[in-house]
Amino acid sequence: MVEFLNTNQLYIVLGVVLLIWSGIVVYLFRLDRKITELEKLMKKG
Amino acid sequence: MFGKNRVTFAKFGSVILVSFVLVAGLAIPLSPSPQSWLEFPVIPGLEDKARNLFFHVPMSWTAVLAFFISAVYGIRYLRSRDIDFDLISVSAAGLGLLFSLLATVTGALWARFNWGAFWNWDPRQTSIFVLLLIYGAYFGLRSAIENEEKRGRLSAVYTILAGFTVPFFVFVLPRMMAGLHPGALGDDTGKGPLFETKMIAPNMRVLFYTSLVAFTLLFLWLLNMRVRAARLEYQQSLHRS
Repeated sequence: MVEFLNTNQLYIVLGVVLLIWSGIVVYLFRLDRKITELEKLMKKG
Repeated sequence: MFGKNRVTFAKFGSVILVSFVLVAGLAIPLSPSPQSWLEFPVIPGLEDKARNLFFHVPMSWTAVLAFFISAVYGIRYLRSRDIDFDLISVSAAGLGLLFSLLATVTGALWARFNWGAFWNWDPRQTSIFVLLLIYGAYFGLRSAIENEEKRGRLSAVYTILAGFTVPFFVFVLPRMMAGLHPGALGDDTGKGPLFETKMIAPNMRVLFYTSLVAFTLLFLWLLNMRVRAARLEYQQSLHRS
């Protein structure tokens, strides 16, 4: 695996990009849920 | 526009498609003579930089869409005076500004390595710069007016007028003048921007259009969240006053 990545370094970049993207996606999903919760709170209040 | 099913579609669709575009756009190897769909041709002068096509162009496209939506909801606001349309219009304009900024910055980085400098005052760079100023001024205008009705009315008129300039700055002007960007007048690589030329292989074309759809869906999800947050903020301001 390490040897493969050493000769095909573009895939390391791909890994980095995918990690960042998944972090952003998780954040967006949580933000979406947070807004839904606030909307519910607002309706009750 | 914001039916629950559509939002769910945009949410999961964008996550799946953007991930797909990232993997395919970066991982598919280049080959001087592609034999299969899993190889991109080497485009002389662009080489690996051609992959930018899948990420840079969708930013610009999404910005155009956002400005268009902002203008449409500006019209709807003027006709109904429904504050919700104003909230949608301003949210779309904000995201449009964000995506134009991303198109500008990614374009400048690409330009450094294809045109020799980050900024060349190429017609396309100049026109997106003017667009940034136009929509920057839109937010300046909004923040300067306290009265809600007046702010809604003036900024709706502004975003409609600004919306009319967008196609001119994005699709017309950069093609009428000689420049460095693909699609400029006298460009010998093809009639239109890069993806319309013969240099782009069918598999690149498919991935390019997939990327347009992917980032459009991502934009719609972001717009949905931004609008909902704006509504909450607005309701909160009503409670306080």
